[in-house]
Amino acid sequence: MRDFLDYLDFRKGHIYDLAVEHVKIVLVAIAIATAISILIAILTYRSARIAAIVLGIQGASLTVPSLALFGLLIPFVGLGYRPVLVALVIYALLPITRNTITGLRGVDPAIIESAQGMGMGRLRRLFRIELPLAWPVILTGIRVSTVMTLGIAAIGAYVNGPGLGEDIFAGLSRIGTPTAVHLALGGTLGVVVLAMLFDAFYVVVGKLTISKGVR
Amino acid sequence: MSGSAEPMIRLENLTKRFPGQKQHAVDDLTLDIPDGEIVILVGPSGSGKTTTLRMINRLIEPTSGKIFLEGEDVTRVNADKLRRRMGYVIQQIGLFPHATIASNISTVPRMLGWKRKRIAARVDELLEMVGMDPSIYGKRYPKELSGGQRQRIGVARAMAADPPVILMDEPFSAIDPITRGRLQNEFLQLQTEIRKTIVFVTHDIDEAIKMGDRIAILDDQSHVAQYDTPATILTAPANRFVEDFIGARASLKRLNLTRLSDVELIHWPTAELSTDRESVREALLRSDKGSVLLLDENHRPQRWINAMDMEHTDTPLAEVGLPATPAIDEQATLYDALNEMLTSLQGAAAVVDADGVYRGVIDIETIAAAIRTMRAEARERYRGEAPEARETEPTEMTS
Repeated sequence: MRDFLDYLDFRKGHIYDLAVEHVKIVLVAIAIATAISILIAILTYRSARIAAIVLGIQGASLTVPSLALFGLLIPFVGLGYRPVLVALVIYALLPITRNTITGLRGVDPAIIESAQGMGMGRLRRLFRIELPLAWPVILTGIRVSTVMTLGIAAIGAYVNGPGLGEDIFAGLSRIGTPTAVHLALGGTLGVVVLAMLFDAFYVVVGKLTISKGVR
Repeated sequence: MSGSAEPMIRLENLTKRFPGQKQHAVDDLTLDIPDGEIVILVGPSGSGKTTTLRMINRLIEPTSGKIFLEGEDVTRVNADKLRRRMGYVIQQIGLFPHATIASNISTVPRMLGWKRKRIAARVDELLEMVGMDPSIYGKRYPKELSGGQRQRIGVARAMAADPPVILMDEPFSAIDPITRGRLQNEFLQLQTEIRKTIVFVTHDIDEAIKMGDRIAILDDQSHVAQYDTPATILTAPANRFVEDFIGARASLKRLNLTRLSDVELIHWPTAELSTDRESVREALLRSDKGSVLLLDENHRPQRWINAMDMEHTDTPLAEVGLPATPAIDEQATLYDALNEMLTSLQGAAAVVDADGVYRGVIDIETIAAAIRTMRAEARERYRGEAPEARETEPTEMTS
């Protein structure tokens, strides 16, 4: 235990750099996935059947093990940052798309009818009424995706991706040596701390962006 | 209905057939809705009354036929723009839960591009109009209001841009009976000031009689069984369907046609709560009614007091005698008043205006007199005028 704390103190600069890389790639992936997901949801939520098909495809992609997906992407986008980013985006899609569709479909039809009856056009209704009302559910989807991709990003180190996975895999490849456990534990702990920080971040985002009237 | 004035809304051979359905939901409906009146569409469920209403603002597009608003054919104009010229209130109200009350009310004015100052002033004006303090309620959210308050906001929101027409689809049906009665009275009071053209859908004939200047009783597929004033419908139902729909107690329902503001109220002896016992005693002595009505400093009725009550000298004036509350709003009908009297301890009830200020007293004798007048009128009609009255009706029926 003492050893591990000494190790952390010694490596803190390095771990911090890895954590920053880790956060960056997750944030970029979540931003891209959110944009794609909300767009897909807006285009499909009116039809229960089309929405189900889209969610089915996205669900199936989630069942591909991440390690396999990274490998499969190498021929197309090479090693390093890019396959990891693409894979993270693919994984992040489902929770956000599903929650956006659920949120949009869950808006009380009476609210839609009254908006329509007052002369709100379709776009205005979508942006002024439906999306704001679905937002708490969408945000939950984004949170779930973020925590999930934080973990998957760690595995991205296997294809030379950035982030805390680097230390985890370095440790695993050195099993038997004294630093092996320290390396793996340090990286893992970093991911856990990031997940908690992100959770806190989303609580604040929710406070700031969800109307008091629907909280 | 052959009035020379142009109707606010004219529905011409309006027909709606939903895809996959054999029968027309609305079949060849022609109806004129006069300016400034409350026109009720009433009928059993499935009669197409809501479909008809929604065709007026084209939430449902008619299969054929035409809609005229203020003489203009609006059957093909931009539907969103058309809807901003008509208020719309539905049973579930549909307030936007994520928006403040002020923002809810200003929905249409904002779409119309009003200036911020004008919008703020209008929101305050509307909140006051429906009896809610703008400084308290403007910033609140719908979930912080009671059902009755939400309904008031729904009405305020529909009137925001001062449209000439308001469409209401069972606006008071989801509210408890006591609040409903109060909201109905408030709305009628409001209508005496705003004089909008209102198309109002309900399945409740009593509500139709109470609220309507004119009632269209709709049979299957929105066929108009009768389109006339409540009084005529109650005394001269056009056919068996209308008779059945009005129900057995048509005569009793006629009491709903007369508002307390239309009858002569009794001047009851009154005294101020704040005065001393001696002047109350004097008022009692001068009274030929055997009792005195005590009013508070704002002239709101408080207690009925008789000579015997005055003997309890140890109790404060505000607690002796019988309570005179709740007083009846002068917008209420004779039916409401009779009901109040039967349930209260007094054979009379105090009548107040919209601000709760004492206006007079109504007793059983007033109602009995009204019933006598009605019977006399009905007898007249039976003796000679009825055939003529009936002859004019087919022109008002369509299909």
